[in-house]
Amino acid sequence: MRKDWQTLELCDRFFDSLERRDYDTVDACYAPEAVIWHSHDCLYQPRSENLAMLRRGGETQQKVRYRDRRIRVFEGGFVQQHRIEVTWANGFEGRMDVCFVAYVRDGMISRAYEYFDTGQVDRFLPPREVST
Amino acid sequence: MTEGEIRELCETFFDAYQDKRVDILERVLADDCVVWHNVFGRETTKRDNLSRYHDSYRGQRRRTYDDRIVNTFHDGFVIQYQLRGVMTNGHKGSLWICIVARVRDGQITRIDEYMDSSKFAAWAGTEEAKP
Repeated sequence: MRKDWQTLELCDRFFDSLERRDYDTVDACYAPEAVIWHSHDCLYQPRSENLAMLRRGGETQQKVRYRDRRIRVFEGGFVQQHRIEVTWANGFEGRMDVCFVAYVRDGMISRAYEYFDTGQVDRFLPPREVST
Repeated sequence: MTEGEIRELCETFFDAYQDKRVDILERVLADDCVVWHNVFGRETTKRDNLSRYHDSYRGQRRRTYDDRIVNTFHDGFVIQYQLRGVMTNGHKGSLWICIVARVRDGQITRIDEYMDSSKFAAWAGTEEAKP
């Protein structure tokens, strides 16, 4: 039987913990077999690599916020549309529109798909320093 | 709308897009439908989209909307798919796209489209050859 509130709670817990850099809770939101697909490389990233990437990101970001969250629950998962806003360590403020589609098993995210436009990466990542 | 009706509306919309059936697109898109594109960051109207439909096929022999994964919710659907194209010069390209749509009374009232514009050159075959 569907229990949408549980899926909504999982979605909120996942993104709220990312904002707080509470990676233990992020970890707990993922099922053991979780994989995360990204539209820029069309590859499934293993759970451990994704968590390591998130932790590394947290070290260079002053603040992360998931704004304008629009969530819909479907049988077996949810979709969240949001705008990620990041204040980087050097003060640069980046933003990106993202669509996150997650498939859920036993109250955990077992597979997720993240769609965004890397053609707008200059609006998201700080300018790279040019070495001379 | 029931889950089955929403799913059927989704398939009808994408079949029509693939088969160049603008008459069906005219029917399944609500007159007040808004289409938002992440790559432009702006909203367009039903009229904007349908009037540019044939131009969007310029340089392309064929487009197919493949590997559709559709999930429905109470007022819409999310579809993940691979857009495969064959250009008039024979080049083949693919884009991976996600659309979140809202529906009402048998029609689509809003489309939010997520694509990666950095893949457009490879899709069209205009990407410079890598050394």
